[in-house]
Amino acid sequence: MCQIRELVLGIESTAHTFSVGIIDFEGKVHSLVNDIYIPEKGGLHPILVRENHLNNFMNTIIKALTEARISIKDINLIAFSQSPGLGPVLKIGALVTRMLSQILKIPIVGVNHCIAHIEIGRLMCNIKDPLTLYVSGGNTIVSAFESSRYQIFGETLDLAIGNMIDSFARDAGLSHPGGPKIEELAQKSNKYLPLPYVVKGMDLSFSGIYTAAKRFIESEDFNKKYNLNDVANSLQETAFAMLTEVTERALAHTEKTEVLLTGGVAANKKLQQMIEYISKEHNARFEVVPLKYAGDNGAMIGWTGILRYNSIGGHDISETIINPKERMDQITVPWRI
Amino acid sequence: MMSNSEIIKEKLIHKGAEASLYYGHWFNKEVFFKYRIPKKYRLEELDKKIRTMRTIIESRALITVKNFGLNVPQVYEIDTKNSIIVMKYIKGEKLKDILNSLNDNKKQEYFKKIGRDIALLHKNGHIHGDITTSNIIITQNEDIFLIDFGLHEYSDTIEDKSVDLHLFKRVLISSHGKDYEFCFKAFLEGYKSEYDKEDLNVYNMIIKNITAIETRGRYVKSEERL
Ligand SMILES: Nc1ncnc2c1ncn2[C@@H]1O[C@H](COP(=O)(O)OP(=O)(O)OP(=O)(O)O)[C@@H](O)[C@H]1O
Ligand SMILES: Nc1ncnc2c1ncn2[C@@H]1O[C@H](COP(=O)(O)OP(=O)(O)O)[C@@H](O)[C@H]1O
Ligand SMILES: [Mg+2]
Repeated sequence: MCQIRELVLGIESTAHTFSVGIIDFEGKVHSLVNDIYIPEKGGLHPILVRENHLNNFMNTIIKALTEARISIKDINLIAFSQSPGLGPVLKIGALVTRMLSQILKIPIVGVNHCIAHIEIGRLMCNIKDPLTLYVSGGNTIVSAFESSRYQIFGETLDLAIGNMIDSFARDAGLSHPGGPKIEELAQKSNKYLPLPYVVKGMDLSFSGIYTAAKRFIESEDFNKKYNLNDVANSLQETAFAMLTEVTERALAHTEKTEVLLTGGVAANKKLQQMIEYISKEHNARFEVVPLKYAGDNGAMIGWTGILRYNSIGGHDISETIINPKERMDQITVPWRI
Repeated sequence: MMSNSEIIKEKLIHKGAEASLYYGHWFNKEVFFKYRIPKKYRLEELDKKIRTMRTIIESRALITVKNFGLNVPQVYEIDTKNSIIVMKYIKGEKLKDILNSLNDNKKQEYFKKIGRDIALLHKNGHIHGDITTSNIIITQNEDIFLIDFGLHEYSDTIEDKSVDLHLFKRVLISSHGKDYEFCFKAFLEGYKSEYDKEDLNVYNMIIKNITAIETRGRYVKSEERL
């Protein structure tokens, strides 16, 4: 018997990635198309990102529909990233989604981007109740589910780990994103140059590492006593040891039996090894979210939209205003209660 | 170095993420051994440095803050080579374990006192660094002891004080959600009461900055880079 599948279209638009994912209510992804804006220099300028996404969103949606071999009329539900992120960029996702929801007369759901990262991880890794380390260009968060919420146990006090690595890489003349290149260079070194190790409670600070690493490559000794490989290695060893320490403390504190690693930086093998090591020590199962779903993607927004819709329904259009600064621990999670 | 004849480790009390803690005796005193264990996931060189540093920082902090009247365990012996601190054994309960069973009056009383203690630290230029309900012990006669000074810092900046409070606030939210509002309010009342009139603007700046820390969102820094 051929059953009609219910489909959701999820739109991710919080930062440089505009992504559309089509996923069904069983959790099967039918298509996922990303349009990634890469800045020519420096960090992310919200207005430039907005212009890029405004110019390309329709193409991205059409591509996703084509790949899934469906028409826009086959969509039963639409979800978008409502928080947190760059205001002007969030607005595009919200606008497009509100419009489609009204034209197609289908329900709409606003989704917290950070929660979506955890939910797609739980789906893809078939994991129930993990302690999550979410590390990306914009976020560094240790979270677990407690008293109806994804509580934050630790987070960065300044730079996100991905942003710190990318900024350093840029200063060292590497192209964006620098994360994978720094990983490659680090593998070629065994030398350790001391960098500030800053852990506060379960929070972290990376700005000191950034400044000190930069100083190393600006120094007269650079390429004499040590090279870029050595700085890259030291940067990773220090920053990842900090991440591992707070993850281990949160694991001991929450006594969870599963650990999930996600976000763009989860691609890093060194970090994977370190988190896997402490997971084993605490007899916890360790999973890394598959790359495609660890970075920003529309499928995670779609899937989280389904979870919310199935538990308490969609949002009223009046509730779909964006919230650039919303923390994940401010939101109750009805589908897990 | 410690010579083993005088030390008797009797029981492993707690195996934390960072340290193993033993109950025992030292020259007939009831003591607590805090042993920072090597961590294999990080480079040996870095690991050794962190453990040694924290052992020194913690014992030094315990000794100095005792001087201005705070209840902290007395330090008997330090072994930096093996990252061990021998300190007085505090008989009591972790705040974390008894918070649920306290009535509102007691909660109010304890959290106010904790607030005053932390203010005293801050006003003297000390940052605890890891204020949690696991790092506060309440004794039989209701004395409140602060422990676990491994992340202690000397600092007089607003930012560091706000971070200290932010950490405690978040522990209350994530681990004691239903008590958070009531307890944190009492805590801040106690904290504020230690600030004289002319220092109230400092207090206000510290509190305001907590909110700023919490909303430091995604990409804030990279936007600033441009
Ligand atoms: N192998 C790697 N090692 C370290 N960092 C990596 C690696 N591969 C990718 N990254 C980093 O991942 C980050 C990208 O993450 P992601 O794709 O999740 O997007 P994001 O917009 O930064 O995320 P979010 O919006 O969730 O904060 C970049 O900082 C990039 O350098
Ligand atoms: N001096 C002490 N007397 C009695 N119990 C203590 C003492 N120091 C620590 N403890 C107990 O051991 C636990 C862990 O000690 P702590 O110093 O906080 O180490 P960790 O860094 O592992 O958290 C505390 O939560 C407390 O229950
Ligand atoms: Mg402790």
